[in-house]
Amino acid sequence: MLQQSVTYQLADGMRLVFIPTDKFKTVSLALFLHLELRADLATRAALLSAVLERGSRRYPDSLTLRRELEQLYGAELSTDIHKKGERHLISCTLEMVHSRFVGEGEELFRRGVSILGGIIGDPLLEKGSFREEYVAQEKEHLAQEIKGLINDKAQYALERCLSKMCQGERYGVYKLGRLEDLEQITPASLGQFYRELVPRCPIDLYMVGDLDPEKVLRLVEEELRIQRDGLSASLPPTEVRAEVEKVRYYEESMPVQQSKLVLGYRTGTSFDSEDYYPLLMYNGILGGFPHSKLFVNVREKASLAYYVYSRLERLKGLMVIAAGIEAGEYQKALGIIEKQVEAMARGEISPAEMENTRRSLINALRVQEDSPYPLINAHLEGSIGGRIETVDEMVRAIERVTPEEIARVARKVQLDTVYLLRGEEGGEASA
Amino acid sequence: MSISWDILKSPELEERACRCLIEPGLEVYVLVKKGYRKKYAIFSTRFGSIDSRFQVEGSDQVIDVPDGVAHFLEHKLFEDEQGDVMERFAALGASPNAFTTFTHTTYLFSGTENFPDCLELLLDFVQEPYFTRETVQKEQGIIGQEIRMYQDHPQWRVFFNLLEALYALHPVRKDITGSLESIARITPELLYDCYRTFYHPSNMALFVVGDVDPRQVGEQVAANLARRNYRPLGEIRRFYPEEPPAVNRTRVSQEMVVSQPILHLGFKDAEAAGLTGEELLRRELAMDLLLSIIFAPSEPLYQELYEEGLIDDRFDAGYEAENTYAFTLIGGETRDPELLYQRLMEAIHRQRRRGIPQETFERHRRQHLGEYIRRFNSLEFIANNYLAYRFRGADFFAVPALLKQLKREEVESLLNSQLQEEQHALSLVLPRPG
Repeated sequence: MLQQSVTYQLADGMRLVFIPTDKFKTVSLALFLHLELRADLATRAALLSAVLERGSRRYPDSLTLRRELEQLYGAELSTDIHKKGERHLISCTLEMVHSRFVGEGEELFRRGVSILGGIIGDPLLEKGSFREEYVAQEKEHLAQEIKGLINDKAQYALERCLSKMCQGERYGVYKLGRLEDLEQITPASLGQFYRELVPRCPIDLYMVGDLDPEKVLRLVEEELRIQRDGLSASLPPTEVRAEVEKVRYYEESMPVQQSKLVLGYRTGTSFDSEDYYPLLMYNGILGGFPHSKLFVNVREKASLAYYVYSRLERLKGLMVIAAGIEAGEYQKALGIIEKQVEAMARGEISPAEMENTRRSLINALRVQEDSPYPLINAHLEGSIGGRIETVDEMVRAIERVTPEEIARVARKVQLDTVYLLRGEEGGEASA
Repeated sequence: MSISWDILKSPELEERACRCLIEPGLEVYVLVKKGYRKKYAIFSTRFGSIDSRFQVEGSDQVIDVPDGVAHFLEHKLFEDEQGDVMERFAALGASPNAFTTFTHTTYLFSGTENFPDCLELLLDFVQEPYFTRETVQKEQGIIGQEIRMYQDHPQWRVFFNLLEALYALHPVRKDITGSLESIARITPELLYDCYRTFYHPSNMALFVVGDVDPRQVGEQVAANLARRNYRPLGEIRRFYPEEPPAVNRTRVSQEMVVSQPILHLGFKDAEAAGLTGEELLRRELAMDLLLSIIFAPSEPLYQELYEEGLIDDRFDAGYEAENTYAFTLIGGETRDPELLYQRLMEAIHRQRRRGIPQETFERHRRQHLGEYIRRFNSLEFIANNYLAYRFRGADFFAVPALLKQLKREEVESLLNSQLQEEQHALSLVLPRPG
């Protein structure tokens, strides 16, 4: 959390976080609807996010909406769907140029807030149903997007590994949902989903820019009218499992040039735990940066990969390691990766690795303040994970981490699932 | 040591940059961004993947290099006799990187602390090459994996296949990374030849953006360059094959593991080749406006295609222009590439018959202006674009003024001369059967 952010609890259970700053050219808005990540809800949530973007009562079709955005000097509007831990979020973001740079007044900002307010709070419902052709078209588009995961092989491999690893956990649910659920959804059932969701779900609205707080509050009250029950439902916390019975190995073959190796680990450390900062250091030393053990040993020394990294899914207490390799080098690459993880568990960390990682992490935190959406995202994840801190507090926490604490965290990290997308014969490039 | 500075102002953006020239010919730009913690610096050379045949004034030797050398050299500069440069940036808490395009190579860092040390390290590692047989060989393995990664990347393949179709000879048709065969031919000697030619300060530029003191930057750069005893470098001549105006092939396709087909429709702009500076920038802006007038989400064509499921929201149209080549690219994923192709060609004809209404023109112009200003939030965007345009002889700050000057008639005349049937090629990636 930024020192200068101001949080307002609005009367109807929504929350407004305003970050005043005059360093950007823009005013950035982001609204989030929070849902529980659940297999039976996920597909409807993903479809709802897409259908909402098609228009509101005031701008009932895309042409009218897109032209109004152009009149606002090319404001960028989009709805999207996110998975953060075992929470599912529908977002609506709007970024517009600050009126000062285009010789306009406050009215420009009001029009922006009004668009966003309409998309979320006053959608195009007819007798409680969404417009039939919008729903049909967005079902088709979402189906293509679900099938399209295969187009990005690295992302596909990552999703496959995590879904295998978290079978039976809510986290195993894909954020876009499932094709078979999509068929069941009707304009009426989606309308009902919206009408049941929006009055109760937690809603956060973020605004970043050079604005007067009182005007912001007034505009939000006037332009963002969402039917609310007056309080937000509480959502179940994300479950962080620590135990691994036995490492599971999966392999899939595909006619591609490069094989993708993904290893899923359980860290047993949640975002709100006191071990979180040691874990952050652990991941940084192991594979978060180009000076990290994985990059140095898998890429620079063994020349086996172009990309190799480790990354935390901090809201779920997971870590993944991923690399793009030659199929024939699978065992060798796996061996080198496991050796780095073992070295971490033995506490083999040089003073240079400690310091370089500390500084790199602090830098990564500080630069978030220089871009509106990373700033919003950091605040959002902090509030979901139950860790509300200022950047200075985070920096101090990183500065305090000791090698002993990292070694303690390292011993909790356990390999759970190894997934290989194996490049097979026939993957030769042919134009 | 006295350095003389020019001030470049952008009233629309409320930004100003300072420029100076440091012996022996390095252009240095500093844009002060108050309130930002991050400092971002890029050190760029006019050496890209298309510079595969060249000669330096005063030498009678014309040098031919294998494809992918500029990119290979970019990787190799991160290693010197003391070891890995990455680690030294990490010790300063900064994040380094580099990228190679068709026309230039850029080295960069971003960081919040230790700015002078980071800048010194950037200047040092780029100016201190160290290539050995062993390190070159090691890099062949790493870049080999990078090449394979891109070969599996459908959007990348459909794009380069299109360039191969549009261009018969111009090296823009080749992958920036080169091929497994071409990088196998790279040697330390070859890297040194390229290095001595293209990494002379007079062929390079530095752009720093963030809350820094321009005077200190200038003095630091001058001191760093002064101790290296550069001798003047003659003019670099780059040779490009005579590219015929016609397209090389009208259609290419490749099968890959994808969920649905991807279509890229390209139009070669043979008239623009040879334009530089403001003329080139003006054409780019006019073409961008034209393309959004026909293909943007605020126009009926996009909405029809979207509703019919022929395009998704990543469908895009853009124009890319350099001094020696220029082309338009339109496309995205589609369920039916033949139908989409037909509809796109019809839409261009239809627009030609209808012309461009003034209201439409104004709306798109407004949108482009706002988008340009919005993107100045990003230090990376500012520095990267400023130098990329500078290398084409254009001033990126001139965009708002040029946009305001542009006339509807100018865009309409491009609608008539450009996007012609005989200039087009089609590239498809199709799902592998089975």
